[in-house]
Amino acid sequence: MSLGPGGAVLDEPGAQQVTETRPARKRRSGSRTTLGQGSALGLGIALTWFSLLVLIPLTALVVTAAGGGWAAYLETLSNDQTFAAIRLTVTQAAVVTAVNVVVGTIIAWILVRDSFWGKRALDVVIDVPFALPTIVAGLVLLSLYGPQSPIGVNWANSETAVLLALAFVTLPFVVRTVQPVLEELDHDVEEAAASLGASRATILRRIVLPSLAPAIAAGAALSFARAISEYGSLVLLSGNLPFRTEVVSVRVLSFIEGGNTAAAASLASVMLAIALLVIVALDLVQRRVASRG
Amino acid sequence: MSIEVRGVTKTFGDFVALDNVSVSLPRGQLTALLGPSGGGKSTLLRIIAGLDTADSGSIEIEGVDATRLPAQKRNVGFVFQHYAVFKHLTVARNVAFGLEIRKRSKREVAERVDELLSLVHLSQFAHRLPAQLSGGQRQRMALARALAVEPSVLLLDEPFGALDAKVRKELRDWLRRLHDEVHVTTVFVTHDQEEAMEVADEIVVINDGRIEQVGTPDQLYDEPANDFVMGFLGEVTTLGTVKIRPHDIAVSPTPGLAGAIRGTVDRMLRVGFEVRLNVHTDQGQDVTVRVTRAQARSLGLVEGSEVWLTPAPVGLHAVLVSSMAGATPVPPTP
Repeated sequence: MSLGPGGAVLDEPGAQQVTETRPARKRRSGSRTTLGQGSALGLGIALTWFSLLVLIPLTALVVTAAGGGWAAYLETLSNDQTFAAIRLTVTQAAVVTAVNVVVGTIIAWILVRDSFWGKRALDVVIDVPFALPTIVAGLVLLSLYGPQSPIGVNWANSETAVLLALAFVTLPFVVRTVQPVLEELDHDVEEAAASLGASRATILRRIVLPSLAPAIAAGAALSFARAISEYGSLVLLSGNLPFRTEVVSVRVLSFIEGGNTAAAASLASVMLAIALLVIVALDLVQRRVASRG
Repeated sequence: MSIEVRGVTKTFGDFVALDNVSVSLPRGQLTALLGPSGGGKSTLLRIIAGLDTADSGSIEIEGVDATRLPAQKRNVGFVFQHYAVFKHLTVARNVAFGLEIRKRSKREVAERVDELLSLVHLSQFAHRLPAQLSGGQRQRMALARALAVEPSVLLLDEPFGALDAKVRKELRDWLRRLHDEVHVTTVFVTHDQEEAMEVADEIVVINDGRIEQVGTPDQLYDEPANDFVMGFLGEVTTLGTVKIRPHDIAVSPTPGLAGAIRGTVDRMLRVGFEVRLNVHTDQGQDVTVRVTRAQARSLGLVEGSEVWLTPAPVGLHAVLVSSMAGATPVPPTP
């Protein structure tokens, strides 16, 4: 018997008899994994699938990009037009993600907590931007906000067009990640906080928000990832003007069409790094908010 | 009086949860609101706490009219059946929550939290998350959290309802002892009459949105105001025309007392120290009788035995039992 780190008594069962017949160490060195047969099979399938779909293509991408060496990277990135495309894409994606975090959470909130006429319809319609083929979304946006706009605005060939298209296709992400968490949220907890004297705002900030933070972060990550890779919905409305409305995906496509695979791959790998960075950053922020209270 | 409820009515659609309920609960007392599920007892508790509002009527807490006060301003501690823990906060920070809201100094908060955690025997768990605690520990934490703000009344809504029988019993005793230490006016809701009778100074029986009876556990048990209270507080059987508790029936192997009713033992079931008899009387009634094991043995009861039943007045019953304990059969009085 010995005291473990938590003050609990750790028992070593049968340690005494074991020393005589066979050494205890040998017994423990058996199987180190806790996986059962079923789980082992599951893990195998998951890893194979993940490798086929994600790891191998990504590695191929990085290898292709690295084929040209640092020189090719620098050349691609120091191109002003490419740099402008990266700046536009990342900025617009960040703005759209920020908007989604706020608006998406509010929409999820009213869908769960309020009852109003047309709530079910709204609940269904939320998914439309996600379900619509992106080029169709682009057409819709062009006809609504393009030169022949029935509402008299012409946002074609402007940065607003990019923002609009991104906002349109990424709308459901935060709503759909936050909604189920909000539904599961125990109403008792808010009442407990109220009876302890917390105002509505304090309850939201210290009790509700920390519970929603992981879901909001997940939705934000999805929304950002989708935004930096979006192509179909914005090509029609944005006009793809170099230095003004050209996004990275369009730039990558034109590299490939020009036969410059190395440049396309290096630009793609830069976007990959940015996406990873943002996802990690969102996770860090989420952890802080979730444990703050 | 610590809590004055006057003429409170509450409806949910067509359903009348509380129908013109008035009750006053004295300071420092531990009161149980007892009744079947859906009888309105939780609704009353929530209205006192300000978590629900009454359609009509008024609530007064410590002499202040609280009818229009929001929950935040009533200074009540509330404990929920399912603990309502802040799961992203450690045990210590859960308890500290109300004090932080009140902007107490860091040192004061830390001292008070230490004090409360040792009161509920959770000091060594201060830095754990609620998910790492058992149900009973979570509920004790919730209690400490509610007590932290020094509420004028402590309200508990089926506080032990989600716990298993053993922990339930422990916590029940513990709550009683805690109340004797802290003396805060406490009201708890339960549908378990044993729990209410064990813990409470006074019981308010609520059924169908109305108060059936208010009294000490003994009063309610011995002098129930009506059939509902009698039936809810303990088992009831009918002997002849009298409603009676199964253990208040005297069993005799011979036609002793006048008015004794003859029957045969249909079924005998031994549960721990007591024996439950199902007696089929000559009038065709099925009467449930409870006797101690010693009684059953000394009377030589078996299934099929012929017995005579009489309602035992409380005093006589006590005499019978004490003589039975000495294993001396009561001689039949001619």
